[in-house]
Amino acid sequence: MSIIKTNDVKKWFGDFQALKGISMEVEEGEVLVICGPSGSGKSTFIRCINRLEQHQEGEILVDGIELTNDLKNIEAIRSEVGMVFQSFNLFPHLTVLQNVTLAPIWVRKKSRSESEEKAMELLTRVGIPEQASKFPGQLSGGQQQRVAIARALAMEPKIMLFDEPTSALDPEMIKEVLDAMKELALSGMTMIVVTHEMGFAKEVADRVMLFDEGLMVEENTPTEFFDNPQNDRTKLFLSQIL
Amino acid sequence: MNLEFKKSITWMRENLFSSIPSSILTVATSFFVLGFFRGLFGFAMASDKDWLSVLNNMQLYMVQAYPEEDFIRVWISVGLALVFAGMSIGLWKSTEESSLSEVFSKFLRVSLAFLFFTVVAPTFSSVTDNDGIIQTEESFPMETRLQLLIPSAILVVVFFLLKNVKLNYKFNKSDLLCFYLAIPIVLLWIIKLPTIQLDSSNQRIIPDPLMPIADTTKTPWTIIFGLFLAFYFIGSRFKDSKNMKRIMSISWVLLPLFIFSWIFKKPEIDLPTILGQDIPIFIGIFLIGALTITFINNPIVEKYFSIYLGVLIAITAIALFISIPILLKSALLLLVLFTIVIPAVSSSAKGKRNLIIVWGVSLFTLSVLIRGGSSDTQIIVQQQSIFGGFSLTWLLAIFGTYVSFPLGVLLALGRNSKLPIVRIVCTGIIELTRSVPYITWLFFASVTMAVFLPEGVNFELVVRVLMVTAFFSGAYFAENIRGGLQSIPKGQYEAADAIGMSPFQKTSLIVMPQALRAIIPTLVSSAITAFKDSSLVTIIGLIDFLTIGKVIIGTQSIPVNFVGHDRENLLFIAFFYWIFTFTLSRRSMKVEKRLGLGER
Repeated sequence: MSIIKTNDVKKWFGDFQALKGISMEVEEGEVLVICGPSGSGKSTFIRCINRLEQHQEGEILVDGIELTNDLKNIEAIRSEVGMVFQSFNLFPHLTVLQNVTLAPIWVRKKSRSESEEKAMELLTRVGIPEQASKFPGQLSGGQQQRVAIARALAMEPKIMLFDEPTSALDPEMIKEVLDAMKELALSGMTMIVVTHEMGFAKEVADRVMLFDEGLMVEENTPTEFFDNPQNDRTKLFLSQIL
Repeated sequence: MNLEFKKSITWMRENLFSSIPSSILTVATSFFVLGFFRGLFGFAMASDKDWLSVLNNMQLYMVQAYPEEDFIRVWISVGLALVFAGMSIGLWKSTEESSLSEVFSKFLRVSLAFLFFTVVAPTFSSVTDNDGIIQTEESFPMETRLQLLIPSAILVVVFFLLKNVKLNYKFNKSDLLCFYLAIPIVLLWIIKLPTIQLDSSNQRIIPDPLMPIADTTKTPWTIIFGLFLAFYFIGSRFKDSKNMKRIMSISWVLLPLFIFSWIFKKPEIDLPTILGQDIPIFIGIFLIGALTITFINNPIVEKYFSIYLGVLIAITAIALFISIPILLKSALLLLVLFTIVIPAVSSSAKGKRNLIIVWGVSLFTLSVLIRGGSSDTQIIVQQQSIFGGFSLTWLLAIFGTYVSFPLGVLLALGRNSKLPIVRIVCTGIIELTRSVPYITWLFFASVTMAVFLPEGVNFELVVRVLMVTAFFSGAYFAENIRGGLQSIPKGQYEAADAIGMSPFQKTSLIVMPQALRAIIPTLVSSAITAFKDSSLVTIIGLIDFLTIGKVIIGTQSIPVNFVGHDRENLLFIAFFYWIFTFTLSRRSMKVEKRLGLGER
């Protein structure tokens, strides 16, 4: 059963059409990698899935709930969809532990002790339990991004969205974040990842998509996508990036 | 020691005389600073200055015409503030320690300042005689200077030596603070001050005899300090209790309101009104709120909640303009605010119980304060207001900040709101308030406001001034806070959205804390401005701290002769204001440091 379904999603920023009709489906437990040149609409698209951007035409169904202007639906979807940003967006005035426990306590209304226990578990899972009492500003970029992953997971989401999670990182830190993501993928999480990390796509993804100028130009399994691209645009993109 | 000397020479060469321009600047600045202090000392010591005009009028400065038989109320207010301070210092006890040499270096600094005075003070100063001719007199003879120079030099040497002895004693910084505060209390009992005494023909005895400080001053201060110490120890016993800290923080917020409405005003209370009016209102409004909390998750209630809220807001809006007890108006207003918040707070049974407790306590506090504040006062003063002198300055400053700060937060949020009506109203209030000078608002409060109030509603002048002050500084706070809000990156909003926070949670947990942190220096400077601007109320006939020094004391002629002695008083007032503002800015720097603003 498909957990995310979009149908002819269109979006404009003023006169500029960022999405020109995207239709796709994501199965439960699937790892989908979206790549494409900058300005191709890939980030806009995944931001539409949890309503950080508003699409103007078409429909988006997440776990059977349609995204409309209804605040109830938006809140229901947001609590099922976790998101990791390119620039981490941790809350700088809270400690790492507080960052992770904030949503469970205030949104899920769980008790503090239970949330903290769960948070430590998640921090251990992404490999930084010892940093719990520090502030985000005291951590390296890779550690911050792993905290961001733990924060998103603390809501126990069914789907995780990654918006270029490694683009703002130094090369030596990319690996630690990718490892955490791989571990997550292997645990059966549904993931949509916008990234340029082709190694990650080859190794982990179930499907790869290429976006260009607001359209999905190719959709394929990783092996097919990399070894036997169908579209000329994909060939050009791969030749530039690999 | 030789090494230290060498070090300081190197330091001076690197920092003060590193190049020709910097050397010139150093020399010029030192001349300017020395000249300033020489002038100041010369002014203070000239024989035509009567410093007793300041000392003798302390009571006037502090409470102006407040009747002496009710002074116990003033002492209770001061005592409560200091007891709270002691408790807070204990609760938030510093974990840092000072070594003995740090303590001695503090004493060294004081004795250095004393030495500086004896060296720099001018021998001659100019004096205006009775005919208005300026003459020069020897106000600080060489013998006196030598007599003072020797002990102060000895003190400097002694403390310098003690500072460099490596003694391994450590003191807790909070304990030390109490020790430092004890010094002036002990001094109260030891020192003798020149005092105005009258002879048999009711003439001031000159020179003024030295007398111990009056018992009416030193006894209350000693008792208060004793209580301060006691509560400091109680506080430090509870320093690990988060609840105590929470209670203490709320008590601080309530303290000025309580002092204003109950202690300082001595309200007239009649039992029938309380039984027949206040208690029914309290119970009724409390039940409405408690029921709303209890049944908020019921699907039927949930469905009609927005209609219920709308009706409640409408009723409250109407209630504000009809003639019903002010307690009912305020309670309704609180109910509306509370009802808006209810859906955002925890829905568990425990959360609901806590919320009902919070609701009951805040409604009760409101009722008590309103009853005290709206009752007629029994203290009759010849002037319009029982508040005068520093108590008025204090009142305006505290309320200028306490009331206007939350108001500023609301206005700033309203101005950023997506709802057009809220945005327009808030922008209107801010722009209207800011575009008119504060003095104009004061005239509005004293002359015009009565026209805008419904029939039968009449506030004291002080209360009207407080209202315009709250709005005026609220508008400035709002713009500062809006600046802080704009400094929050878009990613913070998105991250909060992405983890499913409601708009209320997003604002109160993510956006506001960061925005306020970013603008602490601006906020403190706004608070300082509110403190100093309070002296403008003299224009509409209120007698504040400054007015007493500038106007009132200059008219005291018989039996003392303080006519023409306003310059001493102005210098004292300037110093007094400086102490408060400087303390405030130092505290805020400490807060900034504790929040680690520099680090992130």
